[in-house]
Amino acid sequence: MADLRVNLCGRQLKNPVIAASGTFGFGKEYNEIYDISLLGGISTKGLTLKPRLGNPAPRIAEGRSVILNAVGLQNPGVEEFIREDLPFLKARDVCIIANVAGASYEDYENICATLDGLADIIELNISCPNVKQGGMAFGIRPETVQEVTRVSKGALTKTPLMVKLSPNVESIIRNSQAAQAGGADAVSLVNTFTGMVIDAEKRRPLLANNTGGVSGAGIKPIALRMVFEAAHSVQIPVVGMGGIMTGLDAIEFMMAGACAVQVGTANFADANAMPRIISEMNAWLDAHGVRDVSEIVDTLTLN
Amino acid sequence: MKDLTAAVIRNVRVADNIYEMTLSLPEDIGTVRGGQFLAISTGEADQLLRRPFGVLKSTGTEVSIGYQAKGAGTQALCRVQPGRELKVLLPLGNCFSLDGYGKVAVIGGGVGIFPLIATISQNCADKDFFSYIGFRNAGAVCYMQELSRSGKLVISTDDGSYGLHCNAVQAFMADYPGLDIDCIIACGPLPMLKALKSSLTAAGCTVPCYVSMEERMGCGIGACLACVCKGSDGQNRRVCKDGPVFDMADLEL
Repeated sequence: MADLRVNLCGRQLKNPVIAASGTFGFGKEYNEIYDISLLGGISTKGLTLKPRLGNPAPRIAEGRSVILNAVGLQNPGVEEFIREDLPFLKARDVCIIANVAGASYEDYENICATLDGLADIIELNISCPNVKQGGMAFGIRPETVQEVTRVSKGALTKTPLMVKLSPNVESIIRNSQAAQAGGADAVSLVNTFTGMVIDAEKRRPLLANNTGGVSGAGIKPIALRMVFEAAHSVQIPVVGMGGIMTGLDAIEFMMAGACAVQVGTANFADANAMPRIISEMNAWLDAHGVRDVSEIVDTLTLN
Repeated sequence: MKDLTAAVIRNVRVADNIYEMTLSLPEDIGTVRGGQFLAISTGEADQLLRRPFGVLKSTGTEVSIGYQAKGAGTQALCRVQPGRELKVLLPLGNCFSLDGYGKVAVIGGGVGIFPLIATISQNCADKDFFSYIGFRNAGAVCYMQELSRSGKLVISTDDGSYGLHCNAVQAFMADYPGLDIDCIIACGPLPMLKALKSSLTAAGCTVPCYVSMEERMGCGIGACLACVCKGSDGQNRRVCKDGPVFDMADLEL
């Protein structure tokens, strides 16, 4: 048994595996399948100040080794989350990462202030590709990444801030550095890649939103490269994600420089994906004589 | 709700492009009720999403689904040979609950017939069913014996090659004034459900009507909010968790 504990923004996680935002709700449904306190952390469904209905259906589609989603940040609003869902998560021994989104700097400031001290970490969603206003609009240019980070960080006195970066950008290096310059305590990446799938018979996009965010096994090599680049351009911790389906995938992200990982799409393919990934990581570490998972972080030898 | 590895023990063609697959489960999970569904992995490594299928037959340790080979997933499924193991998450969603009803009208079309067949067979001991089932053509007609258990069965086809030359809603509405029923259950394509709602409204029908909805799904358990439909209050309903069976009055169709 290797020591799987990792530190993220001063919070100790019992293992580096975190449920990715938008794939896990607020944990209640998956807790009917396994005890979610087995996980290192849970990043909640993206929260906004007011409830959002999201996009029309179909909201999900599939390509080869990938899926696309265009849910559009449907959520009950931060107040209902605090009232109805947070107590359930608080009662579990798991790092609670509140994923938040907004349509203006003020939105980000207000929602961060609302959740300050309530969540263990706040994850700033500036990379949702499926909402017209806000979301990814803040995540594309380094100037707005830095400003939205600065404004959000200014509203927080107790809870550390992690900024979730979009891969749909000119330079993941510059945007990582912009988040760091804005005061981020960590960055997480990658969110989904904007994509499209078409029903040729109908000559229409399959998603009602026409485009959606691409995730799943097929994006892993691109995500891995971006995580590697980000981890080598900032001093703050990097949480890696993008197509992690197995324990070995998670190990690779950590070798590339991630101190923890998030798992999203794999939950749909296998409802028990995260407990399995944790045990596969453990088995790999044991087989390679690694006693502490943090020993593998950023250990690539480049050719 | 269990995530199990099930062995395919039967996977046969029952009509044009329609197949029945039976899975042997590693444990007795009780009866999967008509309307409830399974999320099955297609077994193809590049297909990440599980496919939802309404239960057709359920005996506790065996469960069957009916499906149409249409997209990449169902085409992969229809090639699966007996002996192969597939991951399956079940039982999911709610069921057609017929407590308190004795005479039930059944309206179905296409792959919507499978949850209706399960519902009929699980309730036929103490209820009368009046079933109106539409198929594309004679080649698609199947499960006549199961559909006619404990009651009347009217078959219609889109091209008139078998039974009445109309759709299931038209066949039902033609009989409706003379029918003594206390509940309606329906499952089929969205246009069929919409036609049913408008026909019942036009006829001033106050009999409760329960419909099973279909939508593309992600997690299948209510977490990801991919498979929503619109409620009559303007709020979203999760097809996988709040349904798939809804009171039609509660939906904006």
